[in-house]
Amino acid sequence: MAGFLYMSDLNTAVSPTVGSSSLTYAIVVRCGPHQQSQALSALQFAKEALLQGHKVLRVFFYQQGVHIASRLRVAPQDELNITALWQQVSLDYELELGVCIAAALQSGIVDRQESSRYELGSDSLASQFTLVGLGQLAAASAECDRLVSFGGN
Amino acid sequence: MSCLVTLSHTPYGSQDAKESLDVALVLSAFEQKPAVLFLDEGVLQLLPTSQTPSSHKHIGKIVSALEMYDINELWVEQESLDRFSLVADHLSQTVNVIARGQIAQLCAQYDQHLVF
Repeated sequence: MAGFLYMSDLNTAVSPTVGSSSLTYAIVVRCGPHQQSQALSALQFAKEALLQGHKVLRVFFYQQGVHIASRLRVAPQDELNITALWQQVSLDYELELGVCIAAALQSGIVDRQESSRYELGSDSLASQFTLVGLGQLAAASAECDRLVSFGGN
Repeated sequence: MSCLVTLSHTPYGSQDAKESLDVALVLSAFEQKPAVLFLDEGVLQLLPTSQTPSSHKHIGKIVSALEMYDINELWVEQESLDRFSLVADHLSQTVNVIARGQIAQLCAQYDQHLVF
């Protein structure tokens, strides 16, 4: 089954706090950088939503998705660097890229603070990404009009 | 905002079962009123196991914590139970059994649907 999250009724009235045509999205990325087509779909969806004037509250990287936040992966020269692409979108649109801290720590994705806390000697979190709690996913789901998830089985 | 969380992973094949249960618990902590639907291999998370491999967290303990987190609405698909010759009465939790044909109707009752 595809990892897809949706509002049950797409015809429900848009929340009055947003403009008539603009929606607030929250995006969950659960696929790793090696599942390239799925990882790219998430990126393209986010980019397109922003281009069309919608708001993207936060992108939340979870499960395999946390590997996208590593600055230590090297993409083959003729392949897309999904991490760099997310960083660019984040810079262009001030988009928040949240990474589940529990999943990240288990995968060796650490920022400076966690690196010194656990005395790991180095950090690996790419710039523009932030380690956040799972609560940030719940908060985003509460605030958004549409919650869309990419990746999964 | 109500959210239906569908769990379709085996309990110990990967981190997925634990990570998706965590999402349900956190949603409830944020008062999102989640309900949980066990589907496909996900029904195996409801087996009353007394022992688990020492390398894993006991999924049964997390499942039984759902009630403490005010997640009282647990659904199980009948066809998934049949696939593993399971009977609802033998599961670790009290669950509502639902036929595959009714799943769409169930989903329609919630604002969001999160599929793991």
